[in-house]
Amino acid sequence: MTANLSVVRDAPARAAIEVADLSHTYAGREGPVPALTDISMTVGAGRFVVIVGPSGCGKTSLLMMMAGLRHQTAGTIHIQGAPIDAPDPHRVGVVFQEASLFPWLSALDNIEFPLALRHAPREERRARANDMLNLVGLQGFGARYPHELSGGMKQRVSIARGLVQDPPVLLMDEPFAALDEQTRMTMGHELLRIWSQTAKTVVFVTHSLTEAVYLADEVLVMSARPGRIIDRIAVPLPRPRTYEMMATDVFGRLRERIWQQIRKEG
Amino acid sequence: MMRRPAPSTVRWVILAALLVFWELFPRTGIIPELFLPPLSKTIAVLVKDWREYASELSVTLYEVAFAMLIACGAGILAGALTGGIALLRNLLLPVFSSLYAVPIVILYPIFTAWFGIGSQSKIIFAGVYGFFPVMLTTAAGIRTIDAQLLLAARSMGASLPQQITRVIIPASIPTVLSGLRLGGALTIIGVVVSEMLTSAAGIGYLVTRYRTILDSPHVFGAIVMILLLSIAFDTLARAIERRTMVWQTAGRRQKEGERVDVAVKPATAVV
Repeated sequence: MTANLSVVRDAPARAAIEVADLSHTYAGREGPVPALTDISMTVGAGRFVVIVGPSGCGKTSLLMMMAGLRHQTAGTIHIQGAPIDAPDPHRVGVVFQEASLFPWLSALDNIEFPLALRHAPREERRARANDMLNLVGLQGFGARYPHELSGGMKQRVSIARGLVQDPPVLLMDEPFAALDEQTRMTMGHELLRIWSQTAKTVVFVTHSLTEAVYLADEVLVMSARPGRIIDRIAVPLPRPRTYEMMATDVFGRLRERIWQQIRKEG
Repeated sequence: MMRRPAPSTVRWVILAALLVFWELFPRTGIIPELFLPPLSKTIAVLVKDWREYASELSVTLYEVAFAMLIACGAGILAGALTGGIALLRNLLLPVFSSLYAVPIVILYPIFTAWFGIGSQSKIIFAGVYGFFPVMLTTAAGIRTIDAQLLLAARSMGASLPQQITRVIIPASIPTVLSGLRLGGALTIIGVVVSEMLTSAAGIGYLVTRYRTILDSPHVFGAIVMILLLSIAFDTLARAIERRTMVWQTAGRRQKEGERVDVAVKPATAVV
């Protein structure tokens, strides 16, 4: 059912996301406030990169800039080789912290929403949305309205909506922050399953260090405001990840290293 | 132990009790018939003179319909503009909010001077009267839309017109409808009050005319008609609200604990 999703990328070695010398300053009450300084990062196609950092360090702002939803004051962002200066759902899908589903639409209609915006034919929309619903493990729940879904299920719908146009890049802004610990772990695991089935490039922002190490190929640690990238940590744990890995020394050491970096900043 | 009766049962019992008292108190002489004629006499009058009541009611209905058109049309339009455009909001909203607190009925004599004592002055007065709540709730409805929803829509490539038609309008429908219900009720009040003040037709006019000749049963007959009109409007408005907002009413039902369908069960399998 999901075979059509795992498209072979035309240039697998190419970087999916390139951020170069990005800085951002916003106008505060007492003059300009620097929010992000000298951010440069490259995310290879198909990689899973997690950004962690203290509250208010600008990691969400950075993600919004990658989504074309906000503009940086300096520097460039290239997605799939082209600059991004406006939202482009064909290149980038976004999943927000609160699922941000439209409460007046059913789960299926929510997933179809991006396709409806560009007036895709009804049958194509339905078929595509149903594929996505199955992909995120919600078959049979398409007719439910958001208020009839649990927090985890809402985020599943939100992920399905982010993937419905098959963008190569998926940006996720603390998508599981509002969920309880157990659901959060399950959702992390589910996300990895979806990721391995779809071969997307994922940039994932979180507060949770365990989540970061569990999910990531690479963890980027940001400093307190003005945000800079102060550490890049490769996670050598094999895939597929399992819950048992959390008890290993490697996992603990990685988590500890990130914690030390963030604590210095706090 | 006795089981507590359902709230709806209690409501009907209270209503029935009121009707019984309405019949009995005047009959026993505790309340003079001039102040409160018995229910049966009021109904008898309504039945005997139904032609008169019907023709006056049609005048009132006609005025209410046009006044609502003005209140809703202008109210939604003005509310959408002031709610959606920051400049207009800052300029106009404080003014309109204060105007809402002014008893607009003081303007009615001026309206009769401008538009005469016929239907026209009632329609315009009641339209203005109902306009304010519609406009203010519409503006509030648009202002309080979850910014995250708009951000999400933008991330999916929604253009500004698409954001308006597909997010802002559906998201503000619940608030706008509650404004329409309030505005509609005020329009009815506006029409009846203006008919009572200066008029030659309408249900409100009947109240005033029969009161001056101390014909209480006829006065109460007219009052009953106005009551029924208001209740009919409210019932209709609620029905429309329920139909338009499947997602909202469904949520409300869930809260009241009436939802016990089995379909919820499989949900536990998926977090």
